[in-house]
Amino acid sequence: MKKIFMQELKMNLKTLLIWSLSVGGMGLACILMYQSMEGEMKEMADAFSHMGAFSDAFGMSTLSIATIKGYFATEVGAVHGLGGSMFVSLLGAGILSKEEELHTGEFLFSFPVSRKKIVAAKALCIALMTVLFTVICGALYACGFAALGEELPVKEFMTYMGMQLLMDLEIAGICFAISSVWSKTKTGLALGTALMFYAYDVIGRVVTDVKEYLFIGPFSYANASDIFSGTDISVKAVCFGTALAASCIIFAFMYYDKRDLAS
Amino acid sequence: MNVIEIEHLTKTYGKNRGVTDVSLKVEEGDIFGFLGPNGAGKSTTIRSMMGFLKFNSGSIRILGMDSVKDREKILANVGYMPSEAWFYDSMKVSEVIAYAADIRGVDCRDEAEMLCERLKVNKNKKIRELSYGNKKKVSIVCAMQHKPKLFIFDEPTGGLDPLMQRSFFELINEYVDKGATCLLSTHVLSEVNKYCRTAAIMREGKLTMLDSPEIDDDEFLKFYEDSEEEA
Repeated sequence: MKKIFMQELKMNLKTLLIWSLSVGGMGLACILMYQSMEGEMKEMADAFSHMGAFSDAFGMSTLSIATIKGYFATEVGAVHGLGGSMFVSLLGAGILSKEEELHTGEFLFSFPVSRKKIVAAKALCIALMTVLFTVICGALYACGFAALGEELPVKEFMTYMGMQLLMDLEIAGICFAISSVWSKTKTGLALGTALMFYAYDVIGRVVTDVKEYLFIGPFSYANASDIFSGTDISVKAVCFGTALAASCIIFAFMYYDKRDLAS
Repeated sequence: MNVIEIEHLTKTYGKNRGVTDVSLKVEEGDIFGFLGPNGAGKSTTIRSMMGFLKFNSGSIRILGMDSVKDREKILANVGYMPSEAWFYDSMKVSEVIAYAADIRGVDCRDEAEMLCERLKVNKNKKIRELSYGNKKKVSIVCAMQHKPKLFIFDEPTGGLDPLMQRSFFELINEYVDKGATCLLSTHVLSEVNKYCRTAAIMREGKLTMLDSPEIDDDEFLKFYEDSEEEA
């Protein structure tokens, strides 16, 4: 199992570096642009905070984008949330199905290793890659704060990165379950799932009737504006997300163990 | 001792037939020829044996063990070569061979070296640079390097040049002489006539044991013609 885990990690290392450096790099660039935009931000912040539903949806009614905290939460929060969810959805959706799609399944599954152990090795690989992605991006964002000479709001920052990690693990878990069902990688479905959750969160913050059910989406507990403005994280949303991720992973184990493998 | 014992194996794909009530025994030290037209059910039988497919009914015992309950123990003693040899493209040949040995937890370096030399495998090339035939040779090395008790080959010689085909069968004979058993699925009648000791033919998901592996072309082709007519 260790060999399969290491091999999987090796094969996905390049993808991890590309995604983490791209998303983390974009976030870093956003942070570095803060000082050059600081002057214009004050007027913009006033305007943005009075745009009703739009301000609510993007957290600009609770945080001022003229401050580094507010700027990070609204700008980098969106980049990292979307980028991370897209990365893990693609990773999760392909990790099992690629063996059948690329016809390497007969090579891998002819070894004296149970399917459950192979699924476990791949699940662990996703978990580690998600952690590494979060750590690399987090380190780049922290470098951005340091480069500007701004104090990093450690508590909020760590909470945000931790919740983003949990959100990414939840989305990866859902896509891992998708991957266990099909013998072809469902890239569209995986990306669609991530984007649908993002859209659901944005809509949920605008439409009053949906607000009650916002906890269903993973973006609800990992929202940067909520975390940086000191709003309590919804325990209900975290529990629901954790339970959903666990259910999806258990489903993947059970379903993949029982089904026929395509040649 | 029977190395393979299949009893009343039935496998369907939804409403489509796979194999129906297949029973088969292969004795230790045999080179068993498994003939049949495309879609007859040869690969379904083999893939059920390997645990890739979940069969509907019947039982499969390999090396005296249950193919479902003891899958890992069985696969530790099986060398399998699929009809299409696919590996991870980014890996080098030497990495694939070492990876296959490492997962099995055995040191196969000497055997792998010997096999690569006899089959003229270039270990420094990347998998993506290999031709179909060269991928097949890597697959042979992966199937043989751990010196398994049972070989299962699904159409192994497609893509191999005549010299390599001869080397391949020489290797099989050497391993069988040392106590291994081989199940060989093929379309090539001459391979069965020349190398197999017993044989069976599959048609429309059903298995017929042959009295002798030395059947003539006309009798052999009749199975294919009948199969096409029924299709």
